[in-house]
Amino acid sequence: MSANVDLRVDVGSLTLKNPILTASGTFGYGLEYDDFYDVAELGGICTKGLSLEPRHGNPPDRICETAAGMLNAIGLANVGVEAFCRDKLPILRQRGVTVVANVFATTVDDFVKLAQRVDQEEGVAAIELNVSCPNVDKGGLEFGCDAQAAARVTAACRAVTRLPLWVKMSPEAGDIRGVGLACQEAGADALTAINTIRGLAVDPRTWRARLANRTGGLSGPALKPLALRIVWDLARTVRIPIIGIGGVATAEDAVEFLLAGATAVQVGTANFADPMASKRALDGLADYCRERGMNARDLIGKMR
Amino acid sequence: MIEAQTRRRLYTFPLHRRDSIGSAYHVLTFEANEPIAALPGQFAMVRSTTWGDAPLLPRPMSLLTGGTRPSILIKVVGEGTMRMAYASSGEQFELLAPLGRPWSPLPEGHRAVFVAGGVGVAPLVFLAQALGEARAGGEMPLALYGGRTHADLPLDAELAAVTELRVATEDGSRGTHGRVTVLLEKALDELSGRAIKVYTCGPDPMMAAVARICAERHVACEVSLETPMACGYGVCLGCPVPRRPAGYLYACTEGPCIDAALIDWERGHGVSAGQKARGAS
Ligand SMILES: Cc1cc2nc3c(=O)[nH]c(=O)nc-3n(C[C@H](O)[C@H](O)[C@H](O)COP(=O)(O)OP(=O)(O)OC[C@H]3O[C@@H](n4cnc5c(N)ncnc54)[C@H](O)[C@@H]3O)c2cc1C
Ligand SMILES: Cc1cc2nc3c(=O)[nH]c(=O)nc-3n(C[C@H](O)[C@H](O)[C@H](O)COP(=O)(O)O)c2cc1C
Ligand code: FES
Repeated sequence: MSANVDLRVDVGSLTLKNPILTASGTFGYGLEYDDFYDVAELGGICTKGLSLEPRHGNPPDRICETAAGMLNAIGLANVGVEAFCRDKLPILRQRGVTVVANVFATTVDDFVKLAQRVDQEEGVAAIELNVSCPNVDKGGLEFGCDAQAAARVTAACRAVTRLPLWVKMSPEAGDIRGVGLACQEAGADALTAINTIRGLAVDPRTWRARLANRTGGLSGPALKPLALRIVWDLARTVRIPIIGIGGVATAEDAVEFLLAGATAVQVGTANFADPMASKRALDGLADYCRERGMNARDLIGKMR
Repeated sequence: MIEAQTRRRLYTFPLHRRDSIGSAYHVLTFEANEPIAALPGQFAMVRSTTWGDAPLLPRPMSLLTGGTRPSILIKVVGEGTMRMAYASSGEQFELLAPLGRPWSPLPEGHRAVFVAGGVGVAPLVFLAQALGEARAGGEMPLALYGGRTHADLPLDAELAAVTELRVATEDGSRGTHGRVTVLLEKALDELSGRAIKVYTCGPDPMMAAVARICAERHVACEVSLETPMACGYGVCLGCPVPRRPAGYLYACTEGPCIDAALIDWERGHGVSAGQKARGAS
């Protein structure tokens, strides 16, 4: 299919077979797609955010649709890192899926424990530190908004794992370039940009917030211009690769992010509207490159 | 009758026809170039290819029929259902189907009792038709159907064809004056001593009341859950329903059809708000 195009990209020391990954929280644990396609074809999948203990998540309603996007306040419901390593990872490994473990904690110590735990496993390609979740009371966002705190988490995890460390940036950081630089200095191998931004929707009939948590994270096409701008800003600021995320649904979206300076992209909310979205974006990217006689690497940062 | 779930797929089908039932209800029938092997109680995530980024997400809809003429019954409540109500023949739709857990089989020797509210009738008509095909001279299900007013009883004729139907309206414009739960209490009295199973689908407050009445009388009750959904196949975790005694179950994969005894009807924003109504109230 992609005989004459080389879609490989290098995220630091890690070479991905192509630049299309899936975003944490929008692709389950990757095992839900058996009916649709072979997810091992993708550049990689990011797991739902893993915590030390399983989490039930927030009460309903957790999601609502907004203009060109959606709000979610899932509250990091997940099976916990143990169950993931025991029940999901061996199957993913056997299928040859490139797995990025997205992890979440409310203290530096717990981030370290998670990194150590994941590090023991075969078949994890990288760790993505979620220091930017807007939907939990404690921990999440504060790390991602403060350069020193983000650097502390990164450095502490760097000390306990040999795996590539990706740090997921929050668009809510006042000085996001400062946060990115601090994470780079602390040993991050890549920056993922961006996580959702906090939003609110109100029901005019009931006068209630539409989500039980009141606020939720905005995702989808509505986020794309913001995400592109942040990727472009970060790419001009740091030396490490940027993984672009926010409203990527098609090959054209992915190309925009690569041109703006991303080395790879993650497809998120688009997977909900179409479970084949990531695969279609991949096939479309192959066509795009083939038609122009170029490789994926040739696109990175070439915005004029 | 009810077997294991089949492979889920994203189908693209043109709309074959749209039949309006009053101004608020519409049946959309699609022209399938290959049949959807759906079981009663399963649903589809439905979206028109004309939608673009708005609405962005597909909408969960119970299948009224599967096969080569898959259809859905919609009630207009917001943007998505409004667009469906204006769709014309030939418009391309995407259906991700069949999804979720179907109704479980009627246990041997049991009488099926349906409690439907408004648009919640769709998965029960599908079930009644399937039970009819399986039944060789056996009893028809007893269907209790409620709405706010006479106009909130779409598909009543279809239901009457395959069940023994009794209706109730809150304004008394048709059938018994009052809620469908009044019919249920009366029917359970009549049938006391018989093995029965209640299948219910409608607004949350109605299903909660049905579940409570059945629990008090030790009658088996299965509900079809309604909650907002983003994906419909288990990855967004956006469709939790409070589970007894703690935690959540996910309506799209552990439901929508599920034993009512597993649900904690008191907990949760959506349930207590009582605003999301698949049916009449
Ligand atoms: C498994 C399952 C099966 C379903 N089957 C059917 C079906 O067969 N037929 C059908 O018509 N609907 C069915 N629903 C409900 C249907 O999915 C929603 O009505 C639909 O998503 C509303 O989309 P919308 O864009 O029109 O409204 P939105 O724009 O999303 O919402 C508009 C407003 O209506 C409110 N609202 C949302 N849903 C409802 C509702 N059902 N009733 C009243 N207010 C509501 C919202 O809170 C909001 O305030 C089902 C839901 C589930 C989970
Ligand atoms: C339902 C949902 C759940 C999410 N859960 C996580 C999570 O567990 N960890 C995380 O780092 N990001 C999570 N995210 C954020 C996404 O990974 C992504 O950063 C964001 O949705 C923007 O991309 P998109 O516009 O393509 O969806 C979640 C997003 C959504 C919509
Ligand atoms: S709707 Fe996405 S998990 Fe149920």
